[in-house]
Amino acid sequence: MHRLPTLLSGIFLVFLTSWAGLVAYPALQLGRLTSVPDADSGGSLPPLYNGAAIAGQRVYASEGCIECHSQQVRQTSVTHADIDRGWGLRPSVARDYLRDSVAYLGMSRLGPDLANVGQRLTNSTDYYTHLYAPESVSEGSVMPSYGDLFKVIKIEGQRSGDALDLPEGFAPKAGVEVVPTTDARNLVAYLLSLRHDYALPEADSVKNAPATSSK
Amino acid sequence: MSATLFPTHHSQECHATDGTPVSNLSQQESVVIDDSVRLPVLALFGNAIHWLVIAAAISLLLSIKLIYPGFLGGISFLSYGRLAPIARDLFLYGWASQAALAGGVWLTARLAGRPFVSSINSVGGVLHKTLLMGAVVLWNLAVLLGTLAILAGYSTGVPWLEYPGWASAALLLAFLLIGISAVLLFDRRINEQPEVSQWYLVAGFCSFPWIYGTANLLLVWKPVQASAQGPIQAWFSGSFLALWLLPVAIAALYALIPRICEAHLYRRSLAPLGFWALLFLGGWSGVQRLIGGPVPAWMTAAGVVSGILFLIPVIIISINLLGIVFLQNPDKVRGVTLRFLLLGLFAFLVAGVLGAFISLPAISAALHFTQVAEAQTQLWILGAISLPLFGLLYEALPQLLKRDCWCSTLSERHYWLTVTGFWLLIGALVMGGLITGLALSDATVSMVNISSYGYPFNVLEGVAQAFLLIAALTLGFNTTRALAWDYLFPKR
Repeated sequence: MHRLPTLLSGIFLVFLTSWAGLVAYPALQLGRLTSVPDADSGGSLPPLYNGAAIAGQRVYASEGCIECHSQQVRQTSVTHADIDRGWGLRPSVARDYLRDSVAYLGMSRLGPDLANVGQRLTNSTDYYTHLYAPESVSEGSVMPSYGDLFKVIKIEGQRSGDALDLPEGFAPKAGVEVVPTTDARNLVAYLLSLRHDYALPEADSVKNAPATSSK
Repeated sequence: MSATLFPTHHSQECHATDGTPVSNLSQQESVVIDDSVRLPVLALFGNAIHWLVIAAAISLLLSIKLIYPGFLGGISFLSYGRLAPIARDLFLYGWASQAALAGGVWLTARLAGRPFVSSINSVGGVLHKTLLMGAVVLWNLAVLLGTLAILAGYSTGVPWLEYPGWASAALLLAFLLIGISAVLLFDRRINEQPEVSQWYLVAGFCSFPWIYGTANLLLVWKPVQASAQGPIQAWFSGSFLALWLLPVAIAALYALIPRICEAHLYRRSLAPLGFWALLFLGGWSGVQRLIGGPVPAWMTAAGVVSGILFLIPVIIISINLLGIVFLQNPDKVRGVTLRFLLLGLFAFLVAGVLGAFISLPAISAALHFTQVAEAQTQLWILGAISLPLFGLLYEALPQLLKRDCWCSTLSERHYWLTVTGFWLLIGALVMGGLITGLALSDATVSMVNISSYGYPFNVLEGVAQAFLLIAALTLGFNTTRALAWDYLFPKR
């Protein structure tokens, strides 16, 4: 280790091991996973996102949802908690992320996992209410309000069709209404499409019964 | 702390290695070396400290937001989801990387016994100096604009790599402008037998472009299919700490502790094993947090094994350095520099032990989405990395400015505020994380209940962040005072 070339070659070789295993291997193997045909619908799995959902991924990134929410249901060999909590019917596999632009696996669970949130909440108004006034849906929640994804406007003539129905205490004063912006619509379109309720060759154990049955 | 400590004790460790006599750096030689790096090093340190203050302020704001989710609500660019990545990136790129560059450049030049910029007054020398200063400006511009981009909602969404692609490209370019000369200086060093810290410096300066370049290429500039991104994200965050920032911090420990204690490394023959083990395992130990996730099982298994084996370099480095302090000269622990270095070493030891513990599969599965994981990250960033860098700063500045520039009251205050804030933060995060982790594993406990269990620890965390902010402000004031004094009454 007296000469620079010797030291550098040593360092290079040592770095190469983890790089080969954790960068090159995933890029070449997991990065080349393909979708599989879906016999039922004639489409492919995982299903493609619609345009709004693709735009919604950007909102998910810019609002930093990943700081508190993960998107992975872990293997039952490691923990049963994820499936017992009803966060998914089966563990997540690499192919589930095929259509994403960024893998939002997450690092913290200050809030619930969102890998299959589209399966738990299927109505877009539930999302709007939750995003605008989290405490109106879940009392004591530490989630902040994403009020800037909504417009508070004066009602002119009739009330807008997509105005939020907020409970007492969270609703704005009379004569104004809360409507989602395009960003909110896109984000909700994305969240609604987060549902891995299909079987893949490597993950076919879709449980049909509600997940709470195991305990 | 004597201002001439470095040159006069320069040969200490080299005698320990193989008895090769190495020329002492004379006062004059070290002045020439310092002259060649003064401006870029001071600029890097100064900017690093102001980013540290901003990052600490945002961290305090974040913990207030965890206690009162409505605090400063409704303002998009002050939302938790935007400020959290900003604070983390400012700690990583604004503060730690920049301070590591500053300290690394100064240490590289001093240990090599050569000016960083050769022939300062020639055309080449002037050009090199201009390039270095350009790199400093570019680095800080990239950090500033990257931060503003996240504020404005242009985050990439990739953890730890939230800066847009153009900002990360600028960071990489700025690094190369500084880093290449630092690596090449190793070959022009005057000591035949390189010191342990010189290996670590070369490793650190080589790894940043490799790690940051690869991760940006595959995750930001030209993203691979998302099914492959999980392991790469984990590899990046693990390697960035263990292979870039940590080696520079360890180089500071290896360079300064023996000199301040005027003693040889304890059991130096172990040092090469520690070095190679750290480089080998550092790249692997980050992926265990994906246990049970959508990655091949062998990857997380390799992560678990290396997370536990990482205790080997941790123990070797501790033996090498703590051996000096506690077995040979226990009475020398007085200066703020040495106390920061030892505190950093202690944080490194704790980080290694906690890291091995939470690598165990059952424990990792329960804890890695909780604040215990955050505690582990902070043991690295604020502890094992930042604390030795503080020590290096306290050592370097008086020499670069050629005067006893620190106000010792402020230095003491900075030390004690940091000690208090840091350990309080780690304690709060570990305890809060343990409790929420246990609750998360029990599917009958609702998420809202879990956050209520974490509440008291969030309050403690807020108190700790307040301590750390005051500590950062104290350091900022002390440094500003030193630099302003130097500007008004130059001594060169």
